[in-house]
Amino acid sequence: MGKFLLLAFRNIFRNRRRTIMTLFVVGGGVAGLLMAGGYFAFMTHGLRESTINNGLGHLQIFTADHFRRDEVRVLDTGIENWRQVAANVTSAQHVRGVAPRIDFYGMVSNGTKAAGFMGSAVDPDAEKSLGFVTRVVEGRDLDAKPAGEVEALVGAGLAKSMGVKVGDGLTVLAMTSDGALNGVDIQIVGIVNSGVAELDARYVRITLPAAQRLLQSDRVTNLVVGLDSTDNTDLAYTELIPRLQGLPQEMALKKWIDLATYYRQVNTMFNGIFLFMGVIVFFMVLMSSVNTLLMAMLERTREIGTMLAMGTPRIWVVALFMVEATLLGMMGAVAGVAAGNLLGALLNASGLHLPPPPGYTVPMPFMVLHVPAQMIGASLLVIVSLALASIIPAVRASRLQIAEALAHV
Amino acid sequence: MNRMDELVKVEEVSRRFPLDHSFVSALSDASLSVSAGEFLAIAGPSGSGKSTLLNLIGCIDKPTTGRIQVDGVDTSTLSPNRMSALRREKIGFVFQTFNLIPVFTAAENVEFPLLVQGVSARERRQRVAAALEGVGLTDRANHRPDLLSGGERQRVAVARAIVHRPALVLADEPTANLDTRNATQLIDLMHDLNRRLGLTFIFSTHDQRLLEHTDRIVRLTDGQVVSDTLNEGGCHGQVPAAGV
Repeated sequence: MGKFLLLAFRNIFRNRRRTIMTLFVVGGGVAGLLMAGGYFAFMTHGLRESTINNGLGHLQIFTADHFRRDEVRVLDTGIENWRQVAANVTSAQHVRGVAPRIDFYGMVSNGTKAAGFMGSAVDPDAEKSLGFVTRVVEGRDLDAKPAGEVEALVGAGLAKSMGVKVGDGLTVLAMTSDGALNGVDIQIVGIVNSGVAELDARYVRITLPAAQRLLQSDRVTNLVVGLDSTDNTDLAYTELIPRLQGLPQEMALKKWIDLATYYRQVNTMFNGIFLFMGVIVFFMVLMSSVNTLLMAMLERTREIGTMLAMGTPRIWVVALFMVEATLLGMMGAVAGVAAGNLLGALLNASGLHLPPPPGYTVPMPFMVLHVPAQMIGASLLVIVSLALASIIPAVRASRLQIAEALAHV
Repeated sequence: MNRMDELVKVEEVSRRFPLDHSFVSALSDASLSVSAGEFLAIAGPSGSGKSTLLNLIGCIDKPTTGRIQVDGVDTSTLSPNRMSALRREKIGFVFQTFNLIPVFTAAENVEFPLLVQGVSARERRQRVAAALEGVGLTDRANHRPDLLSGGERQRVAVARAIVHRPALVLADEPTANLDTRNATQLIDLMHDLNRRLGLTFIFSTHDQRLLEHTDRIVRLTDGQVVSDTLNEGGCHGQVPAAGV
């Protein structure tokens, strides 16, 4: 077996130029996949963490009714005794904190112009303690206990359309939980830019007590749970489920991935692109290698005839070609992984940025992650591709007529 | 001839090859009997069917009609795998163009038939060393074929052909690519192996130098055996004796 492998290994280097060309194709394919996959991984990882840190949190607690029916009145599917629920959750392992939220909507007016808004009411201290980022581009964040008027953050797009700036006032109108129309004057303390233009054109954020006064309710829409690490989401989920049972209201616990629709779409898209690239690389390696291996087979026709004449089993000849191709694939994979990681490291060190993608206003860093699973996957892909590419030449070689092969020039 | 000693028996063998819409006959009703230990040449001009007859005896081709027995086995009834096994165990080949594996050293080339037979590594080493010593190439064991002269390459080929102790060695024009000195050395070597080890050699050749050293000459013309004579006046050179 050792000599057989030695023969296969040495055969690879018979025609060095051709071997190097094949290694370029195979290694280039692997490196290309790693670069693309590494960039996709960086994007999805970044999107995951930013999605979580922008306020989604790792887990969210709702009432079960929230998913069963639409609200007839504001907050009628909200969490009633949310402080008790929060206390049940906070003591669990991996939980860093809990932030209550109210989602509401209504009209905002500057006296001459009105526009619809999507409101979010938060406990600023809880949000900060969980590390949730509020991208205040002008002014400051909300104060948990403001001295005077109701403080508010508004999206950059809304501020622009309403013609207001930090320090200006607006009137917010919304339906209360009793179905009446209620209004509250707010003072803009900051302008936020989430990076998503559509959201910024309608966004208003106020404190939780202010929203409860506006909506005439003590309930909250949901509780956002922050964990010590995203990797612990499943563990924490399992631990929290029993803690939410036996409460006056039936609760529902959702993982961030279940709520991050945009993240899932992006991830699915990247996975699809990566798979498509993998298929391209697979067939690129397959086609180019079939040709190369057929040439190698033709060049060695007389030698194969000699081996067969000496009684070498034909299956050995098949195995010889397949082992050669597999070894070549392994060498190409190693070269490709090395090249891909090196290029990735250089790219990461370069500090390059890409223009903002559609719907975003912030340039994206052009970096790649080094993902071991991708290295293994891309390597297996080209190794299998080369092994498959060798089947036709190997079978042809094994079926050579010995007398004809010996006479081959 | 004692039937018990009969190693090869060719009975009215013909071999035709398709050519366009007809056939070309390379061998017609050839019959031949070779005893164990013979040193026999198949002579004839190019295209007379020498290589075809050797290929048929060597089980790397099948006759169109007729029957060939090697060591008592009717090769026409064998499956491809059994034919392969017969070649592996009973026959050694020497080719005109040496046909060594270029990425293997001389020793590794000689080792290859033993590898195919599944001989243990230890025994392979011993037999390879003995075979190379037998052909006077011990000091060239670790050289690749491209670093060997033509004569040395053919001696490696001979060592490869005999290392697994076959009953029969077939050599197709073994001296055709050698100069006179190397050709003479090779002839002497093979003849020595024939006498010393009792190996049966069958050559195809039109090389007069080889014919002069051959015990028996079968002449072919246009695919037919035209004569089968003993060469009483054959003179044999000497090579140093060595065990294989």
